[in-house]
Amino acid sequence: MSVLALPRPAEPVRRRALWLSRLVRRRATVVGLVLLAVTTLVGVLAPVIAGDPLRMEVSARLTAPGAAHWFGTDDVGRDVWSRVVYGARLSLLVGAAVVLLAFAVGLVCGLAAGYWRRLDNPVMRVMDGLMAFPAIILAIALMASLGPSVANVIVAIGIVYAPRVARIVRGSVLVIRETMYVEAARALGVSDVVIVARHVLPNCLSPVIVQASFVFAAAVLTEAALSFLGVGVPPYVPSWGNILAEGRLYLQQAPWLVLYPGAAIMLTIFGLNLLGDGLRDLLDPRLRGLVRERA
Amino acid sequence: MKTYVARRLLALLPVILVVATVAFVLIHLAPGDPASIIAGPDASPDDVVRIQRQLGLDAPFHVQLFRWYGRLARGDLGQSIFLRRPVLEAIVDRAEPTILLTLYAMLIAVAIGVPAGVLAARHHNATTDQALMAGALIGISIPNFLLGLLMILLFSVQLGWFPVAGYAPLEYGWFGTLRSLTLPAFALGVVQSALIARIARSAMLDVLREQFIMAGRARGLSESAVVYKHALKNAMIPTITVIGISFAILISGSVVVEQVFNIPGLGRLIISAVLRRDYPVIQGVVLCIAGLYMLVNLAVDLSYVVFDPRVRYQ
Repeated sequence: MSVLALPRPAEPVRRRALWLSRLVRRRATVVGLVLLAVTTLVGVLAPVIAGDPLRMEVSARLTAPGAAHWFGTDDVGRDVWSRVVYGARLSLLVGAAVVLLAFAVGLVCGLAAGYWRRLDNPVMRVMDGLMAFPAIILAIALMASLGPSVANVIVAIGIVYAPRVARIVRGSVLVIRETMYVEAARALGVSDVVIVARHVLPNCLSPVIVQASFVFAAAVLTEAALSFLGVGVPPYVPSWGNILAEGRLYLQQAPWLVLYPGAAIMLTIFGLNLLGDGLRDLLDPRLRGLVRERA
Repeated sequence: MKTYVARRLLALLPVILVVATVAFVLIHLAPGDPASIIAGPDASPDDVVRIQRQLGLDAPFHVQLFRWYGRLARGDLGQSIFLRRPVLEAIVDRAEPTILLTLYAMLIAVAIGVPAGVLAARHHNATTDQALMAGALIGISIPNFLLGLLMILLFSVQLGWFPVAGYAPLEYGWFGTLRSLTLPAFALGVVQSALIARIARSAMLDVLREQFIMAGRARGLSESAVVYKHALKNAMIPTITVIGISFAILISGSVVVEQVFNIPGLGRLIISAVLRRDYPVIQGVVLCIAGLYMLVNLAVDLSYVVFDPRVRYQ
């Protein structure tokens, strides 16, 4: 795995093209990419294609889908189409931010624990302690002490997934630190920090990149679940989970409150899973079909 | 074996210590003073001090931490602020629906997942395999609370086969309980069965490539004897690992699904505690679920002995 990921500066362009063409060879992966592209486009274009997700039109509360409101309205007369579209924006924001946070923390902890023996035990014990809690339970407990806000949701879910990244990184680092090239660098008198940053880090990336789309998917799901439970983002923020929570109260009168945000969540997660499977087969064929943990 | 179990239980102690510390620190991460948050915006300073003293928040951090360890060692999870009763009592009261729901969902997940995975492996790359795996991929893309809502919409609202929500406790007869938990258990279990099916399939495929399978076929054993007697038993080991992981997902999933179906279990308890900032209850539920999770993982490790005689414990 490490050899494949070695940088070859001589022909960067051709390498990237090969990488892409291999990724899109599987039709399922292309479907995943298209689904994600659509979600991203919808999220980015939200102000253009949707109205104000907070505007309440009390006279039109719980209106069925129609020309005026494509996806109907909710119990205070807000346009569900606008809320679903802005919900896409929120989901993408949370997903991307959680991936960045979990990877930043996870990489630093994993590299430190794997490379410096003395740090291994203390760092990994904390990580084990965090991983002893089922993901959503830990997220709920964190939200209880942080309080409801978009930033806190990101922090809470990031803390939940960082140890999972750290564990994978530490595993690769333990192998890489014993390789000849690391030994050679050490013999040349290269400092530890430079060895970790220049030689160890790039080589332990490919197994974690595979995890990126799964962590993204888990983050989107966890945010939706937290908001659905009423402990995620504040109720006025358009989030798929929030819309579903309202929909639960009006299942009989207004099933569209469940159907549209539900379809949005499903298609997004489905796309991420397809892309994740494609990435895994490309970057780490050995992991095919192995366990992966979800919220 | 007995000494192995004892050693494993002993090895859990440091983990429990770390988990207890994390549960404590989590709550004390809260920005601001929990006592004034609990007391609310209109509380007088006296009220805040009273709550501080009641929760022991006036002591220094490390004193509080060691008091927490001491109480845990005695099995005391503290006193709920809003329910005005011991946390442990509240948890025991609410555990029945959560545990039954988790087990029921597990049963459904295994009953669907393992046969689907084995079937897919037997017909590797054929239409059956592709259809099952496409189904599994869609299955893992549906969040359990969404599936729950959709099932209520179809089976309760449209068809009227099941109650829309609510829970019938065991003491009023098991049939009512079963009926009230069927939709939630399916909502939880179906999603998990997709994951189990994927693992069972790949484990079966790996085993079917082994030499002893070839040897069995060469000896003229029937295909079903090869698949169900020799291959399946070996494929169970990775599958059991996933079933163990599934337990964590299912028990945390039931926290969410309980909210969908209005089931008064641990999930409702912790959510209402979060909304009311009843920190002792949050800590207690979190700790209990983590403890349950650790025990299940231990049980999974021990079950390897049953399924794989090559695994021997000293």
